[in-house]
Parts: sequence; C-alpha cells; structure tokens
Amino acid sequence: MTINNVAGPKSIWHKILGVLLVPLVIGIIWLITIFTSNKPVDYVDIVEQFKYGSLGSEITNGIPYWIWRVMPEVFADKLPGQAPDIKPNYSNFGFIQEPGKKLPIGFSERQVIINRVGLNCATCHVGTFRTNKESPHQVVAAMPSNMVNLQGYINFISSVVVDPRFSPDRMMAAINRASGGLNPLESLIYRYIAIPQTRDVLIDQGAKLSFLHNQPQWGPGRVDTFNPYKSIQFNFPMDKLDPKELIGTADFPAVWHQKPRAGLQLHWDGDNSSVDERNKSASLGAGVTPTTIDLPRVQRVADWLWELQPPKYPLAINQELATKGQSLFQQTCASCHAFGSKKVGTVTPIEEIQTDPARLNSYTYELNSNQNTLFAGTPYRFTHFRKTNGYANHPLDGLWLRAPYLHNGSVPTVRDLLEPADRRPTTFYRGNDILDSQNLGFVSNLAANNSYKYFLYDTKLPGNHNTGHNYGTDLPTGDKDAIVEYLKTL
Amino acid sequence: MEFVLNWQKRLIALVLTLVLLLGVIGYQGYNLLLRRNFVTYTSLVDQFKYGSIGNEDDEGIPYWLWLVLPRIFSDKLPGAGGYASLGMTWEPGHEVPVGISKQTIGFPRVGINCAICHTATYRMTPDQPPVIVPGGPSSKLDSLAYLRFLWSAAADERFTADYLMPSMEYVHKFGWLEKQLYRYLVIPLTRDKILKQAQEFAWTAQQPTWGAGRIDPMNRIKFKVLGLPIDNTTGNSDMTPLWNMQQHQGFAYHWDGLQTSLHEAVISGAFGNGATKKTLPLANLAKIEEFIAQVQPPVYPAAIDRTLVTKGEAIFQANCATCHAFGSTQTGQVFNDSDTDPQRLTVWSQAAADAYNAFGNGEAWDLQKFRKATGYVSPSLDGIWLRAPYLHNGSVPTLTDLLAKPIDRPTTFYRGYDLYDFDQVGFVTTGKSAIKLGTPYDTKISGNSNQGHLYGTELSSDQKQALLEYLKTL
Repeated sequence: MTINNVAGPKSIWHKILGVLLVPLVIGIIWLITIFTSNKPVDYVDIVEQFKYGSLGSEITNGIPYWIWRVMPEVFADKLPGQAPDIKPNYSNFGFIQEPGKKLPIGFSERQVIINRVGLNCATCHVGTFRTNKESPHQVVAAMPSNMVNLQGYINFISSVVVDPRFSPDRMMAAINRASGGLNPLESLIYRYIAIPQTRDVLIDQGAKLSFLHNQPQWGPGRVDTFNPYKSIQFNFPMDKLDPKELIGTADFPAVWHQKPRAGLQLHWDGDNSSVDERNKSASLGAGVTPTTIDLPRVQRVADWLWELQPPKYPLAINQELATKGQSLFQQTCASCHAFGSKKVGTVTPIEEIQTDPARLNSYTYELNSNQNTLFAGTPYRFTHFRKTNGYANHPLDGLWLRAPYLHNGSVPTVRDLLEPADRRPTTFYRGNDILDSQNLGFVSNLAANNSYKYFLYDTKLPGNHNTGHNYGTDLPTGDKDAIVEYLKTL
Repeated sequence: MEFVLNWQKRLIALVLTLVLLLGVIGYQGYNLLLRRNFVTYTSLVDQFKYGSIGNEDDEGIPYWLWLVLPRIFSDKLPGAGGYASLGMTWEPGHEVPVGISKQTIGFPRVGINCAICHTATYRMTPDQPPVIVPGGPSSKLDSLAYLRFLWSAAADERFTADYLMPSMEYVHKFGWLEKQLYRYLVIPLTRDKILKQAQEFAWTAQQPTWGAGRIDPMNRIKFKVLGLPIDNTTGNSDMTPLWNMQQHQGFAYHWDGLQTSLHEAVISGAFGNGATKKTLPLANLAKIEEFIAQVQPPVYPAAIDRTLVTKGEAIFQANCATCHAFGSTQTGQVFNDSDTDPQRLTVWSQAAADAYNAFGNGEAWDLQKFRKATGYVSPSLDGIWLRAPYLHNGSVPTLTDLLAKPIDRPTTFYRGYDLYDFDQVGFVTTGKSAIKLGTPYDTKISGNSNQGHLYGTELSSDQKQALLEYLKTL
C-alpha cells in the first residue's frame, strides 16, 4: 500500500514531466538556435555569391529584412521619385532588381536572430550597359555600379528613421501586409526589439553622416569613401575637420582582374598597395566590423576577382584604326597605363596630374594614423595605408565600362578626356547606360529617358572639376579617334 | 567498510575536482591578469620608439580601452584624428604612435616612453605626412592635454563597463571570462587609477598650461617621486633633443643643468614617467642611452647657400661660439644669463637634489649627480634648425625672431603645427592651420617671457642672414 501510494503520484509526475519535457527541451533548443543564429544566405554560383552573398555586414549594420522591405512603401514620399507612376522599391536608387530575386543586386541576407539585409561588394561594383535604347540592360559583375545613387539611399534611410511613421504600430501594419503575417515570436521580436533598435542605430548613423548634406550630390556611380570612414570607424568630429578634406567624392572603380594589380598602389590616390587589405577596408565600408567580417566569404569573392577578366567590347571595332591607335597608345599612354609598365600603379604628383585635388585631400595623415589600429590583435591588422601626394596611374582593362572618367567621373567619355580641359563638357548627364560608341563612354547628353531623369553633373562644383590629365590633348583629331578605337579593345 | 571506502572515494574525487577547478581558474586568471610578455627590439631605434621604460605596471592603460577612448570621448579632444589630435605621431603601418609602448601584463596595456616627447616631426608642405625624427624634440605633443583627456574621460559618467564594452567589443573578440574581468575588474580599476593620477597632478591646474611641445618634468618628480610638498613654481619648458649625446659628454643636462650624468638623467627620466624601483628596466634604459649617444640630428632638408654659410660661420665664431660651439669650455655648462625667464630655475632646489640623491641609496642604479644650479645651460646647437621654438621655455618661434630685439619678437603665436618655415627657420606659428592645429602661446603669461638672450640682436640684417644660413648647417 505504502509503496503504491508513493509510486502512484510519482509515476503521474513522471508522465507529466515526460510529456512536458520533450517539447520543453525542443522549445529551449529552438530558442537557443534562434538567438544564437548567424546564418548567411550562400550561393553555389560565384557570380550569384558576388551579387547577393554576405560579407558579414548584416551582423552589426544590417537592417531587419521586413523593415527594409517595407520602407519604400511606407515612405514612398521620401524616394527620389522620378515620376507619378513610380513603384515604391529600391530601383529608385538605381539598384538592379533581377527578375525572380528576393533582393536587388548588392544586398545580402543573413539570419542573426531574424533575417537581416546588408550591403556587399556588388552594391558599388555591378553595373549595366545597353548597346542602344531598345536593347535590354546587360548586367556586368565587377564593373562600377554606374546607375547606383548610394547617397540617395543613405539619405533615404537617414530621413525615414526620424519620421514619426517609423513607429512599431505603423511599421508592423505594413510588415504584416507585406509578409502575410509574421509568426508570433517574430512579431514580438520586431515590435519590441527590431523596430526600436533599428531606429536608434540608424538615427545614430544618420547623425554621423549628416556632413554628407554639405557635399555636392554624388549622383549615380560615385561615393565618398574616406569621410564616412573617419566618422563611422573612428568617430572623428566632422565639424572640426578642415573643410578642404570634406569632399572625397569619387567614381566607383571596376574590381575585376586583381592579380596583375598586386603590389600596385590601389585606390584613386594610391593609398594602399595590398589587395587583401584594400578588400577588408572596402568591406568595412559595406558595413562589416573588425570582429564581424566574414573572412571566408570575403576570400571567396576575392579569389574569384583575382582572375576575372572584363567583358569584351560588344560593338564593331575598326581594326585598322585600332592598330594605328595601339602604336599611338604605346607612345602616349603606355608608360603610365599599360600593365607591366614602369609607372603603372604608381602615383603621379598632384602638381603634375592637375586633376581635382578634393579626393586626394580627403585622405589625411590623421585618418591613416588611425587606420593602423584596424584589425588590431589579428595577423591582418592594417599596415599598408599611406598618405600620398597625387593620384595613381590605373591600368585600363575594361575601360569601355568605366565611364565617366578621371577619379571623380568628371569627364563623360574617353574622347572628351583627350580634349584640353577647357574644351571638355562643363555639364553632362550621368546614370544612362547606353554605350556612346563614337566617343567611348556612356551617352551623356540626354536629360531623361521617358520618366527616368538622369543626373546633371556640374564640373564647376567643388570636387567635380574636370581639369588635369593633359595627356594626348594636343594630338591631331585623327590620332585621338584612333586611340579611342584602340582603347575599346582593352 | 564499503560505506567508508565509498565515502573516501567521493571525498578524493571531490578534492581532485576542486583542485582541478582551482587550477583551471588560477591558470586562466594568471593568463588574463598577471602573465608578463614584454617586447624588446633588436634595433635600438625601435626600442627607443616602442620599448618599455617600466611604467606599464603602475600607469599602463588597458590597450583595448585605450584604443576606443578617443572614439567614445572624441568631444574631449581638441580636434579630429584621435590621439593624433594631441600631437602623437604614427609611423605608417605601426599599431601605436611613436612613444607608446604596448606590453602584456595579463592583458595588453600601453604606457608612454621617452620617445613620446623626444621624437621630432616636420613637414615640407601642408599636405605631406610628417618626417619623423626619433631623438629630436617634439614640437607638437601636448602631453598635459593627453593626461587631461584621460582624466576627463575617467571622470565622465559614461566611463562604465556598460558604455565602454560595446565599443571595445567592436574592435576585439573577448572570451567570456576575459569579458567578465574587464567588466568587473579592469575597467573599474583603471578608472580609479586614472582618477588617482588626476589627483596627483592637481597642481597642474594651478599653473599656466604647458601647450604643445612643452612639459614641466621636474615638478612631477618632486611631488610624485620624491614626495616633496607642492609649491607654486612653474617649470614649463620645451621638450629637448636627445641626439648626439656622445658629443655631449661632460655637459650638464636639463635646461638648468641640474644633472651632470647622462646615465642618471635617463634613469630619472623613467621614474619621472611612471617607472618604479621594482619595475625599472635597466637593460632597456641602457639601450636608450646607447641610442641617444649615437643618433645624429637630421640634415637641413632644403637648399643651403654655401657662400653665405662661410660668411655666417665667421659671424658665429665672433658672436656665438664661446657659449655654443663644441670645444668651448662654456658650451653645455650653466651660464648666468639672468635675462631669460627665471621661472624654470625656481623649480629645482638643493632640497630636491638631496632628496633625489638619497632616493636610490643602496640600489645598483643609485643616483648621486643631482645638484642645484643657478642659471640655464648654454647648449650646443646641433640640429638647432629642428629645435624651434627657442629658449628654454619655447617663447621665441624662430631663429629669425631670436636674432631680433626682444621688443620685436612675437608676443603671441601658435605652437604645435609642424609645417616648417624655411624663411624664418623654425615652424609656422601663425595663420589658419597653425591656429587650428596648434596651442596658443602668450609671452605675458608667467614662465612664458620671451625676454633675454640679446646676443646677435645688434647684428646687421645681412649679418643675421648669413648667420642663419650657417645655423642651418649645424
């Protein structure tokens, strides 16, 4: 009896416990899995990985997917609207939305508790071209993002987070509409953590980048790399900087075929001679931190870019003219611009090159000093940055996709670059991806395509000057045309 | 019997587990708090720039904390650029500025060394990075501003683990135990230590500020190392060059010649900057002595008119050589020219000298050569072009100004901008950038007088021109 009395309740408890324990353990494991999750979305195909894969930028600087997704709808009035029939999505900033893809090119996804969206290499290094108005946009990985208005995107985010509509109620309503309803746990996380936290983080980031409002607009295809760097990485008080260093706007570069670039002075001003370090530095720009950078994934992309060749010029080339141009190139340009030449990848002093000095001035000894501490405590701490006194002589592979020209993108075509500075266009339009087969570059004289307005670039604004690089400018017209023809073949 | 055995087995198991646990905790604790790993360099100049002078135990700041302080408290710095805004100089590619030693005592810490004040920089053009000259006097380090930055950060309500740790974790992955140690031990203790140091330096609030390139080194020794009572003297003076010491044998050291042994000057320099009797690294200090004996001042980096130099040399011989040329008996010795600002002389007393001479009694490094002198040393002029501003208190911006009558010398100017002024022979001390990057200097403030040293002021302007040209070659 006694034994039964004891055993009876005990076995009931055992049963109850047994019934509860299994889901309890599963539940706890499930929660632990979610709250310690760090799962990037990967792609088998390397081009897809480049366009959509993660560098680790989502971990600290990612925006929760559903917030990111509904922002253009909720704040459609803040988009750099082109026309009344505009769709509220990120294409308004020139980001490329490929059919059937969840995100535009240049955006990656990773689950850190919830799915977050971050930037990657492709944000600035995938562009498009068309051979004529009717032909489709052809996407080229590793070319400059000639359409992307990154400053517009940054400004959009900074402005929506201070808007009263960025509230849990308003945002959750939009998120539920777009997602068809989140699961209860996600709903809680979004309402009470993700939305308020994202708002705080982005307001802080917006404050750090508020100096950008004082710069001439970047327009599509350009970015100020090193001023945001000073502010984001080191919290430099930007209002205390010398105004002459505050405009560092420059063209996105092409990033293909890095192998022959090893050891060259990289970046427009040649401030770093290590491909690896430059890659990590660019990753910081995309939003990774020294502790969250996803090194294997950065390396996977780097390995691919190492050998990647630029695409061939897609239109007819006058071979005879190109051959003539080749020998002119050898005499006039090769010593600075041909792979293997003496001066390629070295810096031409500003006094000699005479191009706009703003970008050079934006990179300072004080910034360089602080960069020496990046990745401290690791074997890959930055040691290669240097303050230089001019702009680097870049190799010209795939030049046909790298318009507009000069570091600040102030000269629309190669043919214009071969004119003396006072005969180059003083204003032109950026953001059109139709090839200008005659002048080598993109069409730059159209203000709009239907409702899509191109960006008016004014060479009179600070940082935008189109002076300097006075090489080949006194050649006869026929010679200039021949050089242009040859450069199409690179 | 069986029960006893079981009990014994259990006890043994328990004890073993405890011992193992304590061992693991002890080992981890030792690793994270006590393990010493000091870097020494084979190259003398690297040892001078980055080696330890023995202050990391007592005054070292945890590296990860030090790294993020300028980012968190950027509002407390004079400008943008982190520690660079205080006049620290990074060699490209180096993790810490010249004059900062990074060593491990449990966790990585940084301390200052001789090179922080004794490394000169100059720029040829405003946009060029500085040329760095180890062993020269820093013209731009604002050492008191660095200390005040640390004091003010530690006194700030944001100086808590909650506020600091996220920034530290942005730059470094901490282990769990490491994180707890920083949170509960390292950060609070560092805060207390910095605040205690601020107390020890409270006397600096009562005297005129040092500004870029200046320091009051002897008062700190008096009050902190020797425990002498706080007095109201002002010892603000220029940072000095340490180069070419081999040729300075038999000279008196410090502006007022209070020490006659270079060896003792080096050792007392370590004490003055936070080393203790326990931590004094004699081998490292010997390397510093060796380095400063050998290192030569840099050659003037611009064109020199040789004909003018020959003319100037004769003028130098006639007017300056008695006090300033190598080989003259007066050179490097105390000289009673009472016209220059007397404040620095009042700092040091016979009592202070006696106290320092008694400080190391019985130690291998015993100090005996401190004394009280009654005038300023007339120094040799090696590398004089890079030793601007001039006079012991740095009150005269350029050599051109020093050859002007005191009434014609600038009364206010800015120190700390290291752009070289090849016309005036010195640094640029006026204009937008000098104001922005420098610290103001007012010759009317106590200890800052630019009077005295009238030698050469009566020369004709042609003669002065020639003399300047010759001085560039020294």
